[in-house]
Amino acid sequence: MFEMKMFNTKKLWKAVSLGLCGAVLTVMLAGCGADNSSSADKGVLKVGVTNFADTLEPTQNFFGWVVMRYGLGECLTKFDDKMNVQPWLAESWSISDDHMTWTFKIREGVKFSNGNPLTAEAVKASIERAFAKNNRAATFFKYKEIKAEGQVLTIVTEKPMPNMPGFLADPLFIIVDTSAEGSRDFAKEGPICTGPYMVESFVKEKAVMKKNPNYWDGEVPFETVEIPSIDDPNTRAMALQSGEVDMAVNIAAGDMDTFRGNDKFFVDEISSLRTVLARLNHKGILKDDKVRAALICGCDRETYNNVLLKGTFLPGKAPVPPSMDYGFDQLTDPNAYNPERAAKLLDEAGWKDTNGDGIRDKDGQPLKLDFVVYNSRAELPLYAEAVQSDLKKLGFDINIKTVDYNLVDQMGIKGEYDLLISNITTANTGDPEIFLSWYWKTNNNGDNPQNGSGYSNPALDAKFNELAAEFDKSKRRQLIIDIQQILLNDGAALFLGYPQTNIISNKVLSGVKMYPSDYYWITSLIKPAK
Amino acid sequence: MTVFRENKLFAFYTGLVVLIVLLAIFAPYLAPQDPMAGNMKLVLQTPSAEHFLGTDKLGRDIFSRILCGTQISLFMALCLVALIAMVGTLVGVLAGFFGGWLETILMRFADMMLAFPGIVLAIAIAGILGGSVINTILALLVVSWAKYARLVRSLVLRLRNQDFIQAAKIQGAKTSSILWRHILPNVMPMVVITGAMDIGTMMMEIAGLSFLGFGAQPPTPEWGLMLNEGRQYIQTAPWLMIYPGLAIFIVVAIFNLWGDSLRDVLDPRQE
Repeated sequence: MFEMKMFNTKKLWKAVSLGLCGAVLTVMLAGCGADNSSSADKGVLKVGVTNFADTLEPTQNFFGWVVMRYGLGECLTKFDDKMNVQPWLAESWSISDDHMTWTFKIREGVKFSNGNPLTAEAVKASIERAFAKNNRAATFFKYKEIKAEGQVLTIVTEKPMPNMPGFLADPLFIIVDTSAEGSRDFAKEGPICTGPYMVESFVKEKAVMKKNPNYWDGEVPFETVEIPSIDDPNTRAMALQSGEVDMAVNIAAGDMDTFRGNDKFFVDEISSLRTVLARLNHKGILKDDKVRAALICGCDRETYNNVLLKGTFLPGKAPVPPSMDYGFDQLTDPNAYNPERAAKLLDEAGWKDTNGDGIRDKDGQPLKLDFVVYNSRAELPLYAEAVQSDLKKLGFDINIKTVDYNLVDQMGIKGEYDLLISNITTANTGDPEIFLSWYWKTNNNGDNPQNGSGYSNPALDAKFNELAAEFDKSKRRQLIIDIQQILLNDGAALFLGYPQTNIISNKVLSGVKMYPSDYYWITSLIKPAK
Repeated sequence: MTVFRENKLFAFYTGLVVLIVLLAIFAPYLAPQDPMAGNMKLVLQTPSAEHFLGTDKLGRDIFSRILCGTQISLFMALCLVALIAMVGTLVGVLAGFFGGWLETILMRFADMMLAFPGIVLAIAIAGILGGSVINTILALLVVSWAKYARLVRSLVLRLRNQDFIQAAKIQGAKTSSILWRHILPNVMPMVVITGAMDIGTMMMEIAGLSFLGFGAQPPTPEWGLMLNEGRQYIQTAPWLMIYPGLAIFIVVAIFNLWGDSLRDVLDPRQE
């Protein structure tokens, strides 16, 4: 009886292992021989993206970004590849002499995808809707009055707003047809906008777009656009290789080599406006200026970016990346990489390894810091581990705490971290003022919630106040440089690097382009090649 | 020793298991380089004379990391199996021997635990507790003890009414001594066999949780975690995944084969 059973077990083992071998082989063969049957020529464009939006309501969270990236929504203005503001739904604009009244001329002959004409009245309703639905709108500007007359829109602001055209390029101010809202659920079915494509169906995992028959700016090249959300960067790269998608955004460093120099693919790689930084909490152990300075100059940022990330990132130094003209080269970082100095600073601050465990301590407390990290961007854990490894040599005990992306924002606001990694776009309005003030202007009882670090410097606040009312371009530039230098001198945060961003397409397509603002992925310029 | 002489295969697998245990114990001395500290200038190096299995994304020696990973994986798996076996046996013996409402409560609770898909529940628990080695063990403990409890209970039920137990009762032996001297020794062989066969499975589950980010945290050289770290480079530096995967495969296979042959030796049905 038992012999019988043994025999069966063995047989089963054999069958299972054979089956496994077969499966592995099949997968490998399938991987090698993947056919490159692209769909671009059949009137269907397939785009592999990452998507954080649960709905397509442009005023909810940052979901407007997705509405714009998918070729659905458009704003009054847009940024070109140098981050200059260009006309879009507004043909031109001007400002009154008292700097309080902006006049926008709305483009003639533009229609929403449902055929309704785009008038100043419609634009007014859409902007007011954004203000009513999302209080982030008021962090850009506050208006006294918006007037609409034919195709002329007038906005009267409460204070002088130097960067108004840039603000209106933010996807929060995507122009939607508010009159359609009664019969259509914008969140689930997508808003009615003016872009080349309109929503056929949307769930977080996949969007299907259809050609907008009323598009104003030339012929729309594809009947259908399918946009699967492939959040894992490696899977996205493989989907692009196998021809499952025709183009994909943000291919990770590890996979770039397979596309660079491959004549089947077109790679558009540019410096983005993003900064990867570790916010430092100025309330705990890192309250001590010397410890912060030691931490910053203990990190070999050149190596992280040039070697570990294979040059897909530029080495970090200042808050604003070098892709924008805000004095990157003239800023001096007092805490450039210097491990000897870092060790000396820690000694001076009284942190010494008294019990020989390799970790410095002071008054019985170990030099232990929590580094909060999220994983949805491939480079973030790598930076964190590199920092951990470098600082270990100096006697820091860095505890990496991986959390879900949705928790990071709240942890930042509440200050529940010692270090908190962030990948932040520094100039989504074409100007880094908002980014800088959000994270480092003094937070008095929650009036600047994003600064949960406890950092406060009155000299810096004075510069921010000056900047908020300054119209002169070169003076604004100088103020922003001053602000950055103060932040560097104070060791306010650890600026790790600046990502290059990329969009890669199969050569069956033409017109694929990455913009520094990261707002425009699918455009009417993307066409089948030939 | 006669056991080994009569069971060549068991002797062979036991030898391999002992080898793995020795490797685990002496890993820190055998590792050619520090598994935690790497040279960041030498990342993703192909296998060479200096780095036997190449280097990883932070320039750490993969061979050293895999070697030291043996210690962690083995330690975690053994701890886990021992804990599960203890908890499960305790519950099973109590339920089986005393019966009544105690049995009803304990066994319905065990049934409830068995009704969940194990690994999914473990992911949920580890996710809530936060990723760490201890939490992984806790999570897997919570989902795995019920199997042992059921097994032991059914063994105890069979034993409870046998003559030698009745005899002990009539002699006036205390309940605790009946449990300890008569029930437990008769239950143990089955528990040990099941435990031995589960070591491999548990290693896989621990590695699985680490791979998903719920287990060991960086820079720990844990195999599942190493697989996850290598995932990004599967196309450009496949050795980051191949060797940790191979290590898991070999060790798990050895423990499974050993568990199988241990059953052949211990299983009373064979006699």
